[in-house]
Amino acid sequence: MGDSSDEEYLHTEWVPYSERKEWADVTPLPQDDGPNPVVSIAYRPKFREVFDYMRAIIAKGEKSQRALELTTEALRLNPANYTVWQYRRDILRELKADLQDELDYLEEVIGQNAKNYQVWHHRRVIVEMMNCPKWELELTQNALDNDGNAKNYHAWQHRQWAIRTFNLYDDELDFVDRLICEDPRNNSAWNQRFFVVKHLGFTPEVIKRELAYAMNRIRVIKNNESPWNYLVGVLRQTESGQLNSHPEVVEFSKGLYNAGNRSPYLLAFLIDLYQEQALQQNDNESAEKVYAMCNDMASKHDVIRRKYWQYVATHLKSQLSKSSNPKQQQQ
Amino acid sequence: MSYHVVDMTDPSELQPVLHSKHAKNLLRFLHLLPARMSSHDNTRSTIVFFAVCGLDVLNSLHLISPQLRKDIIDWTYGGLVVPRENEKRRGGFMGCRAMLPQTEDAELLECMRQYQWGHLAMTYTSIAVLVTLGDDLSRLNRQSIVEGVAAVQHADGSFSASIDGSENDMRFVYCAATICHMLDCWDGVNKEAMFQFIMRSLRYDYGFSQELEGESHGGTTFCALAALELSGQLHRLDETTVERIKRWLVFRQMDGFQGRPNKPVDTCYSFWIGAALRILNGFELTDYAQNREYILSTQDELIGGFAKWPKSTPDPFHTYLGLCGLAFIGEPGLSAVMPSLNISMAAYVHLNQLHERWRANSSGLTHDLTQLKLSVGSSAEAATKTTSSSPLISAQ
Repeated sequence: MGDSSDEEYLHTEWVPYSERKEWADVTPLPQDDGPNPVVSIAYRPKFREVFDYMRAIIAKGEKSQRALELTTEALRLNPANYTVWQYRRDILRELKADLQDELDYLEEVIGQNAKNYQVWHHRRVIVEMMNCPKWELELTQNALDNDGNAKNYHAWQHRQWAIRTFNLYDDELDFVDRLICEDPRNNSAWNQRFFVVKHLGFTPEVIKRELAYAMNRIRVIKNNESPWNYLVGVLRQTESGQLNSHPEVVEFSKGLYNAGNRSPYLLAFLIDLYQEQALQQNDNESAEKVYAMCNDMASKHDVIRRKYWQYVATHLKSQLSKSSNPKQQQQ
Repeated sequence: MSYHVVDMTDPSELQPVLHSKHAKNLLRFLHLLPARMSSHDNTRSTIVFFAVCGLDVLNSLHLISPQLRKDIIDWTYGGLVVPRENEKRRGGFMGCRAMLPQTEDAELLECMRQYQWGHLAMTYTSIAVLVTLGDDLSRLNRQSIVEGVAAVQHADGSFSASIDGSENDMRFVYCAATICHMLDCWDGVNKEAMFQFIMRSLRYDYGFSQELEGESHGGTTFCALAALELSGQLHRLDETTVERIKRWLVFRQMDGFQGRPNKPVDTCYSFWIGAALRILNGFELTDYAQNREYILSTQDELIGGFAKWPKSTPDPFHTYLGLCGLAFIGEPGLSAVMPSLNISMAAYVHLNQLHERWRANSSGLTHDLTQLKLSVGSSAEAATKTTSSSPLISAQ
């Protein structure tokens, strides 16, 4: 709930539109909020005036340079006004304006409002109009750098759109790798990695490479959900989609367990692995491992999810009894 | 079942929920908002929604005076956009009055119409407010609004917020589903394409992203699941998929809930994740006591309201969603919340009554129904007369 108007209102000599000669031909149009409005905002005089003139311009259908400048001012006061953004685009089209200027303007606006939906949408439409994605990777990289932890959802979404639309995949894996090195817990970066690798294709070689990549990251920080989710996600891309499809991953996870690691993410992985074996092979030994690990999770390693782990054990029991019943009937 | 254990804590040791402070806090927002909220000008309807529905969950709707109730309803209907036959299908509610000028000049008013669009999020929250206040929705044309919803659906199944000037993503898929469900009409909306868009946004970790291959997110996972439920398509998820989604959701609990892996917790996710789990019948698998403790750590004890984090400024959004999060764990003094529509169960019951009425009317049964009531009444009378001598259920 920022107040973008405060500083400039106090520190600059802003001339009201009503005192500007070049606006003398325009009659401002107040907002019609009805006879008994609720959630009324106590607009500052400047806000009120700018939007009174904005309404007058839209109602006249005027698409001129001064109208464009007026939208700049209105959008500085309220960058969430999607109708004014649309009107601005209509003006830009009408004036056949230089859209490169618009991109420069937007770079500044996005710098100040990096978590605003409307500015990113405007950016997307302008880039589409220009059919030129030259600056999008740099723009989103800056937004991610400025975010502090490189997780700004808007910036990632825009970046994915630009990459997908204009086929900009080439250097993305390096970019993602850099972010994961800087912060292995950056789940947004892991997601982006999946997005890029999926585009390149999950061939058997790529799968092996990505499994190794995830395992290397897990070795450094075991208790990190992101690479564990990535590991499972890649295993699901194999032909069988089974967690035991790659012996090196099975050995790796068992090795961590035998070395005494009890990260809930490791245990969750092993529970899923044994559960799959139990269901496929009706293997009692695997089922017993699931029950024991669920019990350990519930009582020691993941107590906040104790009810969940008890449920997982109960659920497996009922699935196994369902799958064994038809056999009994056949006998 | 054994996993369904109630968290046992002595109620007297618990930090209390400051019901009346929250009610007063929300009530204040219905009147005058400070200038610093000018950047929320376009979403005023959502503030009404958080305040009214929050008061409802607090069982405090009586604090809204009859005059204020009328003002809220009138103001809300004042944002209704009704397109003419020859105009773009832009029906729905606006969330503000920025595009409504005070003028008698017919030409100006006509020109302005092109920039008055219903907005799906504002339409959803406006209808929810009207239903919560017990309005019968008779002042809106359901067909015109649903045409507006259908008009903003894209070929990929997703929805924009409005006919122009808006991005399209899972948030508006959700809003589209709430509107069609609440108005009991899906004419022209492609549910299959909507389903395909939702499923294409299911990620490798089994959360849903806001759009296609974006990162899984708690808010959009709620939107996806609620949209599936409201459009009657939840059953299309197979059991394995449901279990994996539940896993992703349950793993979001740290003490309160986070929206994405490795992100800090935030009060609003007690609603988003909680409601998503409620939709999948998995909410009881979470730790109620820790959830409650976190939400209450963000309670402002001085002015009421909840914030996203402890010691942060409360706002209507986190206040409402915090209250809903508490309602899910059965907090005394709060009314039950219908997860996928995010309104109280009482409001939902009222909505269902409206549906029954509309269905009776639309199938031309009004007349027949009256007849039926009469005949039921007379046969009931007849039955009463004969019960003394006849068995209630006749032997076969």
